[in-house]
Amino acid sequence: MATATARISNRDEQDVDEMSETPDFGDHVDNTIFSQLLEMDDDDERDFSGPLVENFFEQADETFVNMDLALTKKDLEELSKLGHFLKGSSSTLGFNKIRDSCQIIQQYGHKLNVDGSDEKDEKVCLTKIEAAIQVAKVDKKELEKLMNDFFGKAK
Amino acid sequence: MRPDSEPGPASNAADPGLLFDLAPLALLALSPDWRITKTSALFLADWGVSVTDCVGEELLPFVAAQLRPTRPTQLAQLTTSIDDALAARAERSTGPISTSYGASWRARIIPIFRQDELLSIILEWHDGLGSPVETDFGKSGFSTDEAFRLLVQNVKDYAICLLDPRGHIITWNAGAELLQGYTRDEIIGKHFSVFYGKADLDIKKPQVELDICIREGRIEDEGWRCRKDGSQFWADIVMTTVYKDGLHVGFGIVTRDLTERKSAESRLIAAYEESEKLKSDFLANMSHEIRTPMHGMLAACALLLDTALTTKQREMVGVMEESGQVLLQVIDDILDYSKLTSGNFSMQSGLVGVTGIITSMVRSLRDTSAPAVHFELFLDPDLPRSVQGDPLRYRQILQNLVSNAAKFTDKGSIRVAASVESEDDSGYTILTEVTDTGIGIPEDAAANLFTPFTQFDGTTTKRYKGTGLGLSIAKSLAELMDGRIGYRPNPDRQGSVFWFTAHFKKIQTLEGMQERRTTMALEGNSGEPPPPRSNEVDSDLLAEIQAASPTKHMLVVEDNLINQKVMVGMLRALSFQHIELASNGLDAVKMVRRKPAAYDMVLMDISMPVMDGNKAAREIRAAGILLPIVAMTAHALKGDRERCLEHGMNDYIAKPVDKKLLVRLLVKWLLRTTDYRKNHEERLAELQRYRQDMGQALTPSMEGQPFSCQVPDGIGTPGSPSSPGPFSAGFVPPKGFDDLPDGPAGHTEFTTDKSAHSTTNKAGPALAERPRFTQASTPIRLSDRAMRQAQDEDKVAGRSVSGESVATETSGDGNRA
Repeated sequence: MATATARISNRDEQDVDEMSETPDFGDHVDNTIFSQLLEMDDDDERDFSGPLVENFFEQADETFVNMDLALTKKDLEELSKLGHFLKGSSSTLGFNKIRDSCQIIQQYGHKLNVDGSDEKDEKVCLTKIEAAIQVAKVDKKELEKLMNDFFGKAK
Repeated sequence: MRPDSEPGPASNAADPGLLFDLAPLALLALSPDWRITKTSALFLADWGVSVTDCVGEELLPFVAAQLRPTRPTQLAQLTTSIDDALAARAERSTGPISTSYGASWRARIIPIFRQDELLSIILEWHDGLGSPVETDFGKSGFSTDEAFRLLVQNVKDYAICLLDPRGHIITWNAGAELLQGYTRDEIIGKHFSVFYGKADLDIKKPQVELDICIREGRIEDEGWRCRKDGSQFWADIVMTTVYKDGLHVGFGIVTRDLTERKSAESRLIAAYEESEKLKSDFLANMSHEIRTPMHGMLAACALLLDTALTTKQREMVGVMEESGQVLLQVIDDILDYSKLTSGNFSMQSGLVGVTGIITSMVRSLRDTSAPAVHFELFLDPDLPRSVQGDPLRYRQILQNLVSNAAKFTDKGSIRVAASVESEDDSGYTILTEVTDTGIGIPEDAAANLFTPFTQFDGTTTKRYKGTGLGLSIAKSLAELMDGRIGYRPNPDRQGSVFWFTAHFKKIQTLEGMQERRTTMALEGNSGEPPPPRSNEVDSDLLAEIQAASPTKHMLVVEDNLINQKVMVGMLRALSFQHIELASNGLDAVKMVRRKPAAYDMVLMDISMPVMDGNKAAREIRAAGILLPIVAMTAHALKGDRERCLEHGMNDYIAKPVDKKLLVRLLVKWLLRTTDYRKNHEERLAELQRYRQDMGQALTPSMEGQPFSCQVPDGIGTPGSPSSPGPFSAGFVPPKGFDDLPDGPAGHTEFTTDKSAHSTTNKAGPALAERPRFTQASTPIRLSDRAMRQAQDEDKVAGRSVSGESVATETSGDGNRA
């Protein structure tokens, strides 16, 4: 077995070069979008992006609580709305992994599979949503740590 | 001997008395009140008593006096037997009764009645050691042989027959006749293979059984056998070799019909399986029910931990959270396991980025595992970037193995390696190995590693919590992915190597898929090229918008706080100073209606609470306000973009908003488009001139609302003509600038001011070439031209919003009146 890649990254070399000033968050973050945010900071203080990202995590936590509640009530419509909601902000910040999970939640909330075909079984939808919420939570946790490191360093 | 002894009070016997006395039996005659009236000589001799000892005495005290040792139970038994015999008016026998001579006697009790009157009771005493059965049997007059033959003949529940040494039937009993349907006469002499079905005959089973029986002495078998009528029954058979005086004379076969039991068994198995399934279903459902509130609790815990807490509170919440997580894991395991065993587990098909999954997992575990543990990652360069399969399940197996490794490794290293084990035209088999330097697995426990509910060492269970289901779940999952799973000791040092393989399909579609950053198939945009992403904003456009933005008023309609902030941040960065916010469509409509000429542009989210963006756009249009509205779409579904135009919006931009595209869009709608606030009368006059060109008169009803919005789906100003006339259809998104063959889109090639002139010139023929426009009704083209005319008018009038850039535009098609 050839064992070459010990680097913990699966991004293109090209991307890494291109974004040399932004850190590598792996597949969690779309660096093109995220660097747009960083550009909005007046200087290196990260006065805009730092609190924004922080706000996002708060929003994510709140949404997870609401999702769990909606899950208890088996309220697919609400779950779909919540999925859409968090998808909006995660995609705005370029947090792709969370966005993808939210997309799944939104789709199954509409009783659709990810490919857009119908999924009539509500139980299946709830299970999928539940799994996606779990993944999103884990991803959020991982990402939050990466972001804390990043903004911690910046300060 | 007392031949002249007087007869008892109840006895009418005279001469028979002598016979009684001399009979070769130990006899006692009793009166109906159980007094001894007569004895035989043998009784006196056997019991060692004299006539005076017993005659005239009551039986029970007499016998009681003779008992050695004293056994009240024997006396009671005698009493019971006599009562019994009297009640039944039939003879009865007692158990042994011991007398003073150490001898043991059984009494045969014979009650003698004349009609209903009891005359006497005779007790006939026999040596207690003898078998009463044999006696009874003998008394029936049968020889033992005869008795056995009768027994066998008459047994109905067992078919019993005897075969000669070659297998021909020589005896047949009632049971056999009942069970197998042949009468004795029909079957005698036939070979016993007639009972076997064709399948058994084909493998020569009858002969084989005889051979084995001779060799082993007996053989048992269970199987289907045939009746005379061809029907079958499930038989339990015992065949025994029969010898007489050391010579083999044949075989005995005893057959029982177990059809009932057999079907009961299968019913039982079916019931068991059904209950197993119900149990699994129940578990799956229950786990779901338990899990859901658990999630709520854990989420609340996590939030609680983020608040200000005292150290003690934090500690307790920490305990709550950790216990919750453990419980959740247990529930998850049970849920998965019950699903797997009940066959309800389904695999998804999606894009799997193996390297991405592995790296992210290693990264997250590295943060949480013991500091003395060093993580290593070996990814074969030949690994495909993405493949088709179930990413969650792959992740789950890996997670299990890696977190096991982390759990059992305090120091040293954990190495995760992935490589392509094999590849063919349609797919890859990917081998993933997790090697640790942990506590390892004892040799004797290795065999049971993948068995459910086992943890390899009872003592470690205390320290390492878990259900013991993880590896068996991983095994089932690997098998579902057409893979295998296994363990071997770490060859280098202490520790374990767990590995699994999983088969994935190659992605057959566009190569572009390989380049996609996300492993999830996002719907809708699969056919479209990804939006150009670059931070390089055209510096000329940027300068232009930054120069104009301080005077522009923007309305951002967005419900998500984060998105609001980002959008405001972007606009601020572009030097906008007047930015207002609305968090739903209704607020936006109110704000716009209150100040119909205040805003230069609206950036409108689609999906919002209270009122969505599409409805808000319709309401704004219905109020006759032609303010540019640009939708910010998450393009969740195909056609969403087009739909927002139908609702009266002018354009759209994809979320997340790309700065470069935003700049283009702002330039387009703030600087390149006629101001919607342009005087109505002036526009009306233009249009009137235009219509006069076409030789038509303006109807009075239209005069009051010349610029009502008439969007393609017919939604417009209330009261406007339902069929769009040339003027009421007047509002269309201004097309003069960039409505080139790709239609209005944030991603189409944007024409900068430098080529604006040619754009306008190209518009005519380009529109004509496009089928949907060549088929469009005249009004649309008219208004298109009217709008351009209006723009021309702006330039002429010097009211150009952005000065020079618009000044380059000229009337391309010479339609000016």
